[in-house]
Amino acid sequence: MIWQLDLSVLTLIVICAFATIMVKDLLSAAIIFGAYSFLMCLLWTEMGAVDVAFTEASVGAGVSTVLFFAAVHQTSRKVKPRKSGRWFSKIIALMAALLTGLVLIIAEADFPGFASPFSPASLHLSPYYITQTLHDTNVPNMVTSVLADYRGFDTMFETAVIFTAGLAVIAILRRYKKEDRCDLPEPYVISAGYPDTMIRFVARQLVPFIQLFALYVVAHGHHSPGGGFQGGVILGASFILLAVSYDSKMIIGRMSEKWNVLLGNIGVLIYAGIGFLCLLLGANFLDYSMLSKVLPATDKIMARSHGMLGIEIGVAIAVMAIVISIYINIISHGKYDKVE
Amino acid sequence: MDIVVVILLVIGLLFFFATTIGLLRLPDFYSRMHAAGKGDTLSSLLILLALVLYEFHEVNLANLLVAMKILLIVVFIFMASPTATHAITDAGFESGVKPWTKNPEEES
Repeated sequence: MIWQLDLSVLTLIVICAFATIMVKDLLSAAIIFGAYSFLMCLLWTEMGAVDVAFTEASVGAGVSTVLFFAAVHQTSRKVKPRKSGRWFSKIIALMAALLTGLVLIIAEADFPGFASPFSPASLHLSPYYITQTLHDTNVPNMVTSVLADYRGFDTMFETAVIFTAGLAVIAILRRYKKEDRCDLPEPYVISAGYPDTMIRFVARQLVPFIQLFALYVVAHGHHSPGGGFQGGVILGASFILLAVSYDSKMIIGRMSEKWNVLLGNIGVLIYAGIGFLCLLLGANFLDYSMLSKVLPATDKIMARSHGMLGIEIGVAIAVMAIVISIYINIISHGKYDKVE
Repeated sequence: MDIVVVILLVIGLLFFFATTIGLLRLPDFYSRMHAAGKGDTLSSLLILLALVLYEFHEVNLANLLVAMKILLIVVFIFMASPTATHAITDAGFESGVKPWTKNPEEES
């Protein structure tokens, strides 16, 4: 830890957080939020949590900024002016915030010190993972093995949460009928102006490399930072790049709505299916070591490694499909390909 | 070797500094994008090249792989960064941002 770097990055993070709230223009707020995410990513890299930093860079700074942009573009750039006055309710709000902060500060005294070597987590839990992961699972990157094996049940429901988020966006935005029930501006076809050859050419050249890199991130998550979530988001982002540089029809031709929802389902089902396969083979749910019975030429330790790869692929498929589905639903006002 | 690394780093930082000054001081959107796009690309190239050279302190396979990855990053920055600058400038032109002129009255 270099405390000068930490301090300057943390100061910038606080400034960005305040600026995001205070700025009236929502597009600027989205941009500042992207900068905030990159600073968080820098901070995590500096603290050694490279996997988390990778997730923040791809999800927080990358895709969610694009989703914010699309949402702002489809709605309104301006914040509604707040009604001033009502000082009474403001004081109540301030009191509530101060009280909550006070309670949190009091409760904080009960925690072990920050990064204390004598906290229960660093005394009993972490040494086991640090010393035993390679021996148990044959996976050098212990973040991946903790995420996908030791607490695989948790990660399965994280994938389910992303899937549910996709379903919620479809339920709210998707419109099957032709007539509109609400007054929204006409769907904006991104890049509806004259076709820009330069942007399209470069995007077309970059997309295969981005997708190859995404597959590398998924498959190499055992040895280096990365994994299903990051790889899936990068795969989805490559499609979004096509949609931004061409138009949404370009990716709907490649990933129709049917395929999107189907792939989202398949991804979650791969994860849960591997869990049930372990159950069928006589082990606990998601206990991959029993997979050595069905996989050829693997012992129990390698089977855990391969099981992790299997669920990472499931996660990547689900995340990619959901990211694309959310993006298309936002930019087309829920009409999907029926943009007139 | 170290001297070359330091020289590349310093030149890269100088270009970054010039970029920042240009971003803050130039009069309008287009000239600011001009400063940001050109300076950013060149200075990232110089700094990443310095990192590649730094990796060659010990020549072995692992360091060679890291150097190759950094060179790949250079290639992708060279493709993506100017295109992004072009896209932003183009979007500004399409939405009607007026270029800066010395005498605002002369605009027709």
